[in-house]
Amino acid sequence: MGLGTLSERRGWVWFLLVPSLLLIAAVVLYPTFWGMSLSFREMRLNRPDLGTGFVGFKHYVALWNDPVFWLSLRNTLVWVVGATMGEFLLGLTTALLVDRGLPGFRAASVLILLPWFLPNVVAGHIWALMLDPRLGVINDILVRIGVLDSYFAWFANPDTALGAAMVVEIWHGFPFFALLLLAGLKAVPLELYESAEIDGAGPFARFRHVILPQLQMIIVATVVLRVISLVNAPDIILILTGGGPGRASQVLSLYAFLKVSKEFNFGYGSALAMVLFVGLMGFSYLYVRLSNVLKE
Amino acid sequence: MGAKHRRLIGNLLAYGAVILIVALSVLPVLWTFLISIKPDEEVITATLTYLPKRPVWDNYVSIWTRSGFPQLILNSAITTAVTVAICTTAGTLAAYAVARTRFAGRQKILLLYLAVRMFPAVMIVIPLFITLRNVGLLDSRFGLALAYTSFLLPVFIWMMKGFFDAIPPELEEAARIDGASRLTAMVRVILPLVLGGLVATSVFVAIGAWNEYLFALMVTSSSGSRTWPVGLQLMVGEFQLPWGELAAGGMISIAPVVILFAIVQRALVRGLTAGAVKG
Repeated sequence: MGLGTLSERRGWVWFLLVPSLLLIAAVVLYPTFWGMSLSFREMRLNRPDLGTGFVGFKHYVALWNDPVFWLSLRNTLVWVVGATMGEFLLGLTTALLVDRGLPGFRAASVLILLPWFLPNVVAGHIWALMLDPRLGVINDILVRIGVLDSYFAWFANPDTALGAAMVVEIWHGFPFFALLLLAGLKAVPLELYESAEIDGAGPFARFRHVILPQLQMIIVATVVLRVISLVNAPDIILILTGGGPGRASQVLSLYAFLKVSKEFNFGYGSALAMVLFVGLMGFSYLYVRLSNVLKE
Repeated sequence: MGAKHRRLIGNLLAYGAVILIVALSVLPVLWTFLISIKPDEEVITATLTYLPKRPVWDNYVSIWTRSGFPQLILNSAITTAVTVAICTTAGTLAAYAVARTRFAGRQKILLLYLAVRMFPAVMIVIPLFITLRNVGLLDSRFGLALAYTSFLLPVFIWMMKGFFDAIPPELEEAARIDGASRLTAMVRVILPLVLGGLVATSVFVAIGAWNEYLFALMVTSSSGSRTWPVGLQLMVGEFQLPWGELAAGGMISIAPVVILFAIVQRALVRGLTAGAVKG
């Protein structure tokens, strides 16, 4: 029987779906469920003598009493809220400006995507070089214009490490918002702008009553996606500060990753990841619900 | 002040702000390029020089001849190619199915493809590490590519779905009336029409795989499979890599990303924003 004949069979659509479903089952669903069960088990690769037995809520109790967990949780909140707001505001500003459609703005809308396509490792090192305490160009500029008296070690100071990493993350991530919000702005029907003009709406009223309601769905979707990836991905912090100095910029995803990759404590790492997972599910659900309620 | 004047001033301010934002996006990369073509004595100086007095390519030569750098690039290229191959095969079929056929359970399947995008990477990487170890794929380029499909396949399917959606539904029917099988209609009629979108989506997935750091750090441990982001980061830690060489390594590594992006940017932007425009 040829493939062409096969495609005439009733369930042929499942032939198309099976490869992707098998892959997703193997590399997403199976690991996730196993990770959940792992969080209730002992598993240390460097301590095989402990076995992989069921330990109930042991890791969760340990986590509750772990000051680093609470510190990381607080840092995660600061990190995610700060970076999301920064990226959103810069992205929205960019989109509103570029949407004026002046000559050259299309090229600008492509050029600003550059940071977003850069690898974390390169984005991190670009900024590490620019903020270097001995030879960084930003320190040089800040000293020249009189903001700083002398070069400052941004990533080595516990008060500025997380903030400096946030600046790098905002630079890296704002084009995502700019790109999608701009697409949303372009889809706003012209008639809406015209009727707003007839009603004598100023720029602010136009933004509040015409643009924002039209963008609402995109804003909700982009914020959810961005929060998820910021909570999950410790890459930038790992590259820039490694969570330090001390634990000043430690976030939960990085803590979980280091527990596994440095201490080989898979059980405890999985419990930390579970907290992230449940937290994200709760956040996504509430956020989508609340923004729909507001809409109605 | 008349409306015309206000508009002019508004436009001038907009130009100023847009130029500032573009500068913010591009200048850090340009600065890194300048560092990469400066000789050492111009990088490590008491007074910072902005433009290189004597541009040289030495840093590019020394990072490339440093032990293992070409191997890192090769490993990344192979891992990326395998990831793209898996995603285009499985993903194109799946995207075609959900975009252009109607079947019971379609909504649930769509939701599944969307939901798996929300699973935490940290959550997946821990058990995936053990799974790959058990099946003997840990520290291999194929194993890493499989790990990458966990977050790139769902993205691929959603982007490709957008491109398939944009084609009028009558085309398959017309082909079927002419006696083509469903398979022929898909391969001969529809696929050629989404070729641009397929290339753009593949490039997006390729960039994602090429750039990835965290999974690679976890899954690879030897020079036979280690990718460039992990390798470059290791060199920074172990050999106190000189700035010029670090910058040159970064420039070499992002060159393919920038070139590929420049080639397909129109279709890529269309694919990335298709969902947004429909609302």
